[in-house]
Amino acid sequence: MNDFEPIRLAQVSAGYGQRMVLDGLDLELKQGTITAIVGPNGSGKSTVIRAMARLLPTRSGVVLLDGQDIRSFGSRGIARLVSVLPQSPSSPPGLTVRELVELGRFPHTGLFGRLGAEGTLAVESALTLTGLSDFVERPLDELSGGERQRAWIALALAQGASTLLLDEPTTFLDVRHQFEVLDLVASLCTSRGMTVVMVLHDLVHAANYADRVVVVDSGRIVADGAPSAVLTVELMRTVFGVAAKIFTNPESGRMFCLPIGTGRS
Amino acid sequence: MTSARSFAALTLLAAIAAVVLFILHLGLGTVWIPPDRVILALLDRSTDPTDLTIVRELRLPRAILGLLVGCMLGLSGALLQVVMRNRLAEPGLTGVSTGGILAAVLFLAGTWGLPPPGRLLPFVVLLGALAGGILVLFASSARGRIDPLRLILTAVIVNAILGSLTAIVMLRSQQALGSILSWLIGSLNGRVWDDVWLALPWAAVGIPAGLLAARAANVLQLDDESGRALGLPLQPARVALFGLAVVLAAGAVSVSGAIAFVGLMAPNAARAIAGADARRVLPLAALIGCVLLLAADLVAQSLSIKPPIPSSAYRVGLPVGAVLAVFGAPLLIILLRRSIR
Ligand SMILES: Nc1ncnc2c1ncn2[C@@H]1O[C@H](COP(=O)(O)OP(=O)(O)OP(=O)(O)O)[C@@H](O)[C@H]1O
Ligand SMILES: [Mg+2]
Repeated sequence: MNDFEPIRLAQVSAGYGQRMVLDGLDLELKQGTITAIVGPNGSGKSTVIRAMARLLPTRSGVVLLDGQDIRSFGSRGIARLVSVLPQSPSSPPGLTVRELVELGRFPHTGLFGRLGAEGTLAVESALTLTGLSDFVERPLDELSGGERQRAWIALALAQGASTLLLDEPTTFLDVRHQFEVLDLVASLCTSRGMTVVMVLHDLVHAANYADRVVVVDSGRIVADGAPSAVLTVELMRTVFGVAAKIFTNPESGRMFCLPIGTGRS
Repeated sequence: MTSARSFAALTLLAAIAAVVLFILHLGLGTVWIPPDRVILALLDRSTDPTDLTIVRELRLPRAILGLLVGCMLGLSGALLQVVMRNRLAEPGLTGVSTGGILAAVLFLAGTWGLPPPGRLLPFVVLLGALAGGILVLFASSARGRIDPLRLILTAVIVNAILGSLTAIVMLRSQQALGSILSWLIGSLNGRVWDDVWLALPWAAVGIPAGLLAARAANVLQLDDESGRALGLPLQPARVALFGLAVVLAAGAVSVSGAIAFVGLMAPNAARAIAGADARRVLPLAALIGCVLLLAADLVAQSLSIKPPIPSSAYRVGLPVGAVLAVFGAPLLIILLRRSIR
C-alpha cells in the first residue's frame, strides 16, 4: 500500500442547525485499507460519514478529497470518487433491483442517461458480486431485509468509486450474510485496492475485519489505531459503559474484545 | 413490476389506441366522416373540398389539442408525484388551475361580462396559471429549501385561498359566471388553430424536457441522503421538476381550462403498469394522458346537450372535463383498489 490519502479531514467541525456534532475532527484514510468507525448511538458516526462525502457542509476545517479541497468538486465529481451507503436508505415501491443498481451510474451518464458498455459491465459485476443475479427483476419492497441491503451495496459498487463509505452495512443481516458482506468488502480492498470506511456496532466484526478502528464519542475521536490496541476493556467501560473480556480468535489469531454485560450485576 | 417485453407491448397498444382515437375524433361531429376519408383529407389527398375543410380546418385543431393537453397533463402529474413524493399529486396541485381561473374571473368581471376583446382570455389564463405555480413555489420554500410535504400543504392552502377569491369575485359579478363555467370544468369545444399555437410552444419545450428529467426523477425518488450521495443537487432538481410540471400544466390550462383527473389517473395507471422507474413511467403517463383525453372528448362530443335556453336552436357538446369527472373518477377508484395493496 502506498501513502496516498483518498480522504483527509482536518480540524473538521460540523452539525445540524444550531447543534454542533463534530468538534475539530482529524482523520486521514490510507488507500486500500478498511477503517471501522465505532461508538455509542448518537455519538456522530453517521455525521463523520456525511462530512467525508460533503453530504453535510463543514462549519470549519477542511475535507480533502484526493488531496484537493472537497468544496472545489462538483456533486457528481464527488460521487464518482466516493460511494456512500446511508444508514436507512429508501426506494419507491415497485422499483426493481436492477433499476436501483443502475442508478449507481447516475454520476457517470450524460443527458440521455445511456449506460454504455462500461456502465452495463459495472452494473452486472455489482449484481454478481453481491449474489443478486437471481433477484434482478424483483421489486425491492418484496425482498427480505438482507437481500435489500445487498441491493443497496450493489448500487454503491456500481457507482465505480474507489472509496466506499458504508453506514452500518450489516444491520438487518443474519449472521451468515453479515460475514458475506464483510468478506465482500475485504475482497474489494485486496483485489481492487478500494478504501473502505464502515460504521459498525458489532465490535467483534470490527476487530476481525478492520485494519484500523476509530472510536467516536460525543463528536470526538477518543481512540484510533489497530483493533487490538484500541478495543480494550478500559475503553469498553469508559465509552460504551459495558464490562468486557479479551479473547483471541483461533482462526485469525486476532484478539477481540467481547462485551459481557453492563457490569452492574 | 412487468417485464420489459410486456411493457413494450402495452406502450405500443397505448400508442395505437391514441392514433385510432385521433382518427375517430376527426371523423366525429355533425357529419360523420369515415376513417378512410379522414386519412385522405389529413394527407391532403382528398378530392372532396368539404372533407378537407371539415377535417383540416374545423376538427384538426381540437384533436391536436386533445393530444397535447392529455400528454401535458399526464406528464405534469407524473413529475409532480415525484417532486411531492405522493401518488395523489396532480397538476392542479401546482396552483395553476386556481391561478388561471382567478385571473380569468377577474378579467371577465373587469370587462363586465362583455365579450372579451379579441382572443385575450387564454393569455390571461396562461399568465394567471404561471403566477399560481410561482406563488406555490415561493410560498413553500423556506430558506431556499423545498420539502415535499411542505410543498403539498402549501399548494393545498394556496389553492384554497385562490379558490375562495374566485368565489368572491364571481358572487359580486354574476355576469362572469356563465363564461367561466367551461373553464372551471375544462372543455375543448370550439377550439381553433389559434389555440393550438398558444399551447404548442409550452408543449414543444415542456414535453421533451419533462421526459429527459427521468434520470433526475429516479434519483429524487430515493431518500434525500442517497440522492445527494449520487451527486444530484436535490433543491435545484426539485425546483426544475416542479417548474416543468407548472409549465406543462399552465400550457394545458390556458387552452382547455381546469381539466381534472387526467393528471391524476395517467401517472397512477402508468405506475400500475410499469412500476417505479421514471424512464418508463414518464413517457407512459404522457401517452395514457393522450388516450384518456381523446377518448373522453370523443364521448363529450357525442353526448351533446340542448341548453335550457328557449331561443337556442343549437345542441352544445358536453365539456370534456365533465365526462372525465363522471367516468374517470370511478375508473380511478377501480385502478387504485387494484394497484395499491
Ligand atoms: N438530520 C439531523 N438533524 C438534526 N440533528 C441530527 C441529524 N442527524 C443527526 N443529528 C444529531 O447529531 C448527533 C449525531 O448523530 P449521528 O447520526 O451522527 O449519530 P450516530 O453515531 O450515527 O448514531 P447511531 O449509532 O444511532 O446511528 C445526534 O445527537 C443526533 O441527534
Ligand atoms: Mg448513524
